[in-house]
Amino acid sequence: MAVFRWGHSWSDAFSDLEREVDSILQSVNQTFQGLRFGRQYPPINLYDLDDHYLITAEIAGVVTEDLDLAIANGVLTVRGGRKLDEGADENRYRRQERPHGTWQRSISLPERVTEDGLKADLTNGILRIVLPKAPAETPRQIPVTGG
Amino acid sequence: MSNELSRHNPDAQPDGTEPRASREASAQPIERYVFTPPIDIHETDDGLILRADLPGVSLETLELQVQNNRLTLFGRVPQVAPEGARLVHQEYHEGDYLRSFILSDNVDHDRISAKLTNGVLEVFLPHTPKAQPRKIQVSGS
Repeated sequence: MAVFRWGHSWSDAFSDLEREVDSILQSVNQTFQGLRFGRQYPPINLYDLDDHYLITAEIAGVVTEDLDLAIANGVLTVRGGRKLDEGADENRYRRQERPHGTWQRSISLPERVTEDGLKADLTNGILRIVLPKAPAETPRQIPVTGG
Repeated sequence: MSNELSRHNPDAQPDGTEPRASREASAQPIERYVFTPPIDIHETDDGLILRADLPGVSLETLELQVQNNRLTLFGRVPQVAPEGARLVHQEYHEGDYLRSFILSDNVDHDRISAKLTNGVLEVFLPHTPKAQPRKIQVSGS
């Protein structure tokens, strides 16, 4: 089934590409369906290391100026976005699969995190957020008085 | 972005079989996801611009080549978490990116250029220059 037709001039430029892309698009569509039906964007992974947590997210094309991190009451909120490529005429797109626009995600943090020690890094389109764990509290002895 | 799980073994033989030694040495085969990255293609006056999202791919781990009219991009993604990290919540899989395109003669293969910024690959595919009209001298007797 042809999902996409090149509708513009110069249509033979990618003649065989069309066929190939049609099959590829099936799989891409499945991913986008995942986004449409409740899955949040961007997807994140959370790792537990000895003394800190690590949150990672794939956000290619987002620049640090368009990224905003806030933390309050144990909830980390990440906001970001990216535009369609500047200067590009929307009518001259042959194919548009990359998501664009703004997004926001709120993540409830695990207990005992030092919010002040939060560090974030954006390299090659991958966001890494490091959350140091608060030192474990020492057990407190409760004196029991008897009568 | 397809969830096609492929077995990646750098020592694999061209026919797809694994060498016996490596199969014995490693009880667990190295399994990697290979994703089809989403792309945009748009026209300009001079040619086509192709952009692909390749988060995690750096210049060192990107291979871009043109062979027999086929443009192939392959980006390797190094593991983001250090060894010993325990994955407690997962919404995406790490994997490499692979996609290829058939180019026509309208693309000037020799002038294809590319750059990688913030995990986005941008490839410029220029038109082949139009042949200039050539005046032919006619000689008479």
